Amino acid sequence: MENNKKAAENPLKVNRRHFFSQLSVGIGSLALGSLLIPDLFERGRPAIQGNPPGIPHFAPRAKRIIYLFQAGAPSQLESFDYKPTLSKRMGEDLPDSIRDGQRLTGMTSGQETFPLMPPAIGFKQYGQNGTWVSDYFPHIARIVDDICIVKSLHTEAINHDPAITFFQTGSQLSGRPSMGSWLSYGLGNENKNLPSFVVLTSRGKGNSQGLYSKLWSSGFLDSKHQGVLLRAGRNPVLYLNDPEGVSRSDKRHLLDQVSSLNKLHHAETGDDEIESRIAQYEMAYRMQMSVPDVMDVSKEPESIIKLYGEDCQVPGTYAANALQARRLAENGVRFVQLYHQGWDQHGNLPNEMAGQAKDVDQASAALIIDLKQRGMLDDTLVIWGGEFGRTNYCQGKFDPANYGRDHHPRAFSIWMAGGGVKPGISYGLTDEFGYNIVENPVHINDFHATLMYAMGLDHEQLTYKYQGRRFRLTDVAGNVIKELLV
Amino acid sequence: MAAGRRGGWAAYLIFGLSVFLAFCLLFERHIVLPNLLSWIGHWHPLLLHFPIVLLLMAIFIGLGGKEIPFTLLTVAVIAALITAITGFFLGKGVDSKGSLLYWHQWLGGGVALLAALWYGLDRMQLVNRKISIAIQLLLLCGIGFAGHYGGMITHGEDYLALSSNREKAKIPENPLIYEDIVHRILDDKCITCHNANKQKGDLVMTSLKGLLKGGETGSTLIPWDPGQSEIIRRLLLPEEDEDHMPPDGKRPLEESEIQILERWITLGASDTLRLNQLEMTEPLATLVRDMMEPDRLAKWSALPKLADSTLQNLSTDYLTIRRVASHTDALSINMYRPPQYDPKTVLNLSRVARNIVELDLSGLPLGQKELEMVAECSNLEWLELDRTPVSDSDLAKLIDLSNLKILKIYETSIGDSSVMVLNKMNNLKYLYMHNTAFSEAGFERLKGTNPKLTVNSGMGKDLPSYVAPVDSAQ
Repeated sequence: MENNKKAAENPLKVNRRHFFSQLSVGIGSLALGSLLIPDLFERGRPAIQGNPPGIPHFAPRAKRIIYLFQAGAPSQLESFDYKPTLSKRMGEDLPDSIRDGQRLTGMTSGQETFPLMPPAIGFKQYGQNGTWVSDYFPHIARIVDDICIVKSLHTEAINHDPAITFFQTGSQLSGRPSMGSWLSYGLGNENKNLPSFVVLTSRGKGNSQGLYSKLWSSGFLDSKHQGVLLRAGRNPVLYLNDPEGVSRSDKRHLLDQVSSLNKLHHAETGDDEIESRIAQYEMAYRMQMSVPDVMDVSKEPESIIKLYGEDCQVPGTYAANALQARRLAENGVRFVQLYHQGWDQHGNLPNEMAGQAKDVDQASAALIIDLKQRGMLDDTLVIWGGEFGRTNYCQGKFDPANYGRDHHPRAFSIWMAGGGVKPGISYGLTDEFGYNIVENPVHINDFHATLMYAMGLDHEQLTYKYQGRRFRLTDVAGNVIKELLV
Repeated sequence: MAAGRRGGWAAYLIFGLSVFLAFCLLFERHIVLPNLLSWIGHWHPLLLHFPIVLLLMAIFIGLGGKEIPFTLLTVAVIAALITAITGFFLGKGVDSKGSLLYWHQWLGGGVALLAALWYGLDRMQLVNRKISIAIQLLLLCGIGFAGHYGGMITHGEDYLALSSNREKAKIPENPLIYEDIVHRILDDKCITCHNANKQKGDLVMTSLKGLLKGGETGSTLIPWDPGQSEIIRRLLLPEEDEDHMPPDGKRPLEESEIQILERWITLGASDTLRLNQLEMTEPLATLVRDMMEPDRLAKWSALPKLADSTLQNLSTDYLTIRRVASHTDALSINMYRPPQYDPKTVLNLSRVARNIVELDLSGLPLGQKELEMVAECSNLEWLELDRTPVSDSDLAKLIDLSNLKILKIYETSIGDSSVMVLNKMNNLKYLYMHNTAFSEAGFERLKGTNPKLTVNSGMGKDLPSYVAPVDSAQ
């Protein structure tokens, strides 16, 4: 009776003691399970780090890049993109269907007609694939089987500064790190006695646009990745040499004292920047020896001087810089950036272009030949090109002997050689007017992605977190063009 | 009262395991297993036999109308729970769960929890005959399906089909795109189901004829038109789609393999097309070459493991050591000329000799000992000795470096007596040797013996023609 009553009140036959002991087993099991969730009680863990910077993500094709930047934008129509239609339809107005609403610069937007202008120079075919090259570039024409001409680059910028900034940093607005800095950040120094990113500038007689040090700035990356401008003449790096009366051993003593003070401070604060500053001082000290050694071309044999042209003995010329670029690359500089100014032919194009081409043609070809005979073309990527192209129509007065061309972002040509790029091919195609791309377009983001791929880096993985977001050279775009690579 | 205490500690254990299992299943997304538990998971295939047998015994005794021994039920339920938990651990190690695994997991977990419920009800004698038969039948189905899915996971859906595994032939140097590439992909991923014996969907993919003829849904491929080709359509469907091929549980095609098929169809699905007939810029050529080239990093996977600290200890301001890529122990080493050269820097590298695949010693005043160290680098593929005092007798030390592909010896005193040594390095592809002591005859002998070798003797006498005014191929 008693039992029945109990059973009716408590069908589960659980008393308080049972209830609690069961509960403890249940909670214990839950707690055991929760141990398997690693960050249950942690909040805001630091982001997962991918590959450590300084090592390629995968086996690279190229170890270094020499970028022969032709600042001012050389005309593709007078160099590598041969368009006979322009001669046939000379003087005719560019059809609106082709222009298709293209934004123009202030220099030609007021023009009432856009008469098609053929190149003032002849083209011939060279190499195994019969590649057309203009007579302005006889030497580059000779190495056409070693280079890959990309005729379908395009950009969004229509003026020099945003366009060149876009090419160098992946953004039209300044402030982002330069591509050389990204590679230095991603791959580190090959030679600890030289900077990994070096800049050399030269200037032709053609119409020039400014070059600003922001183009080789490291932006928000550590300043050790910044491009170092080597000047022509006796003092390539400013303030690198000791003042008069200071001997090298004095300098050593000074550095040792400064370094011990810095180490004290580091022990106190633990600030890593102090360590990197100590390392920078040491590197500058070693650069006092290594830079003059690298810059000294006097030991180059006669055959090399002939190859690059006599100009290469005159410091500050493009030819001298090209030879210098080889020496720097040989000594483990990761990214050698040359700029040759004077390619902005809004008028007087035939004359100016001939002069500009003469400045760079032989030395550019020589660099390829020289790298090739040293077996360096296998792992050195050379790039030649400007920041955009030029219009197929005439700017200003229509005069086939003395015309100009405005900026053209929709299609332009560059060439690359070595470093795993297929030799002897042309990639991409423009229409018969040379105005629009009809096959295989290559955006600047794609170009950057491909370069990084050749260097063994995944452009989507090489990021740097700054002001709350991760940045990449290619921002949020870019596809690797594998067809360009072997 | 006595009934309420039936089971004792076993009851607590079952309750605890049930809660733990339910927790795991519900919060699976958040759980990360420690190694030990992943290891325990590996016992799942062994343990699973116990609950199947024990539960089936209990069920059949119950269905037969007899009293089920309480101990049998207890042991069966505990075994079921433990098996389900280990199964969960095992499944956690799989990257992406296919639907087979998904169903197996929930059915298995469900069976274990249902069995635990049955135990609980039975323990408190709350079940009548009807409920208990319902539970037993449910368990029977659950065990059947969970076991069936589990079997398919381990053995593959076509476990009973006749297998036709052959050694994979090497892709020839200049492959036929259909026979050596396309057929190989199909053979690997499709033909197990679409062959003369099995003919899923009435489709036989063993020959081009069969492909063109198609199956139930009509033509499988339409030359020149991948967009209209059923095979491409199905390959590109999202994986959840019923029609996606290969079906769930089968190895899907790699993206590059789909691209190869697509491009091959675009180019007309020919069975006579060869790789060398494709243009350099043709994407198919690139894809096929990628497929032919074994992964560079894979061959280095057997190299001795190296700690980063070892590399740091060996490098100096003038000696850079880096891994060729992350996750590999293959090393690329560059040495630059220091103000005071000390051979020890190079000799110390013998500790990592086997790991070195690229070594640049150019421009250094190398001695005999350093060359002996280089000779130890048996995996060396890329060696730069240019502008060093190496001689023919030094080079002879390197005769066993059979992996060497690129060798730079320009601007050295090496000459004709090294021809034999260089010829013995039969993997050598590029030799850079301008300004050396080779004679014309030695040079010719060098070029003659190894057809794969490209000898670069520099611009030398050709220089004038390079810098000469235009010469065009009009």
